[in-house]
Amino acid sequence: MTEGAPALFVALEQSGFAASIRQSTWLYPAANIGHIVSLTFFAGAIAVMDVRLLGGLAATAPARLLARARSFALAALAGMAMTGAVLFSAEASHLAVNRAFQLKAVLVAAGLANIAIYEFWARRAVERLQPGAPMPPGAKIAGACSLGIWVAVAACGRSIAYF
Amino acid sequence: MRRPVLFVSAFALLTSAAVAHHGWGSYDANNPITVAGAIATSKFENPHATITVQASDKIWTVTLAPTSRMNSRGATEKVVAVGQNVSAYGYPSTVQKDEMRAERITVDGKTYEMR
Repeated sequence: MTEGAPALFVALEQSGFAASIRQSTWLYPAANIGHIVSLTFFAGAIAVMDVRLLGGLAATAPARLLARARSFALAALAGMAMTGAVLFSAEASHLAVNRAFQLKAVLVAAGLANIAIYEFWARRAVERLQPGAPMPPGAKIAGACSLGIWVAVAACGRSIAYF
Repeated sequence: MRRPVLFVSAFALLTSAAVAHHGWGSYDANNPITVAGAIATSKFENPHATITVQASDKIWTVTLAPTSRMNSRGATEKVVAVGQNVSAYGYPSTVQKDEMRAERITVDGKTYEMR
């Protein structure tokens, strides 16, 4: 347990749920593998969407390509959230004060906010576009932000072990 | 078509670098130490088993390996149980006081590699 961590995270780490994760031989490594596998699917789906928003893969109809990639991205995001909750619970007090984890949490929030902003203000215009049509600037900005933010999230995730 | 390919490869490169293995960055590998004494507390848990050792001068926290690796090397929960005499060779933490990460431990004349 890490001294000085907020009580909520100490309580989570000391819960029976978290203890059973730590005491299981396979659960923690399984969650670890699941988290990385979900990340690879998420990264792939997000890269396809972001590249399309930036104007790449221009021969495709944006609406169809984005819809297909979105279902992969959502499934992978759910996988990362579930496995991440397992990994977090086992070491909650340490992670809550870990600089890399804190930055990662902020970046995840930024990534989700970027998605919300896109869905609200740019999505409809994008999905009306024909193949080959130029992307509106708002869509390009959302795509570039997404690519940058999610790569940074992955880098922060791996960096947790070094802080 | 060249630009999206560049984006995707940059993304793949960054994420693959991100799944590389743990380093021992926060441990001082230039000054290895040996901590010997009786095991005061033992947690046979993931992500790493941890013991505290009553050494001659103070109590050390000794970080061991994941439980699956401990078991496969023969360093089972019984081997690192409270009361056992252990000698741990490893590197002191540069972050946490009186903590070290064991490269190998010796119990009852038997040595177990932790890496």
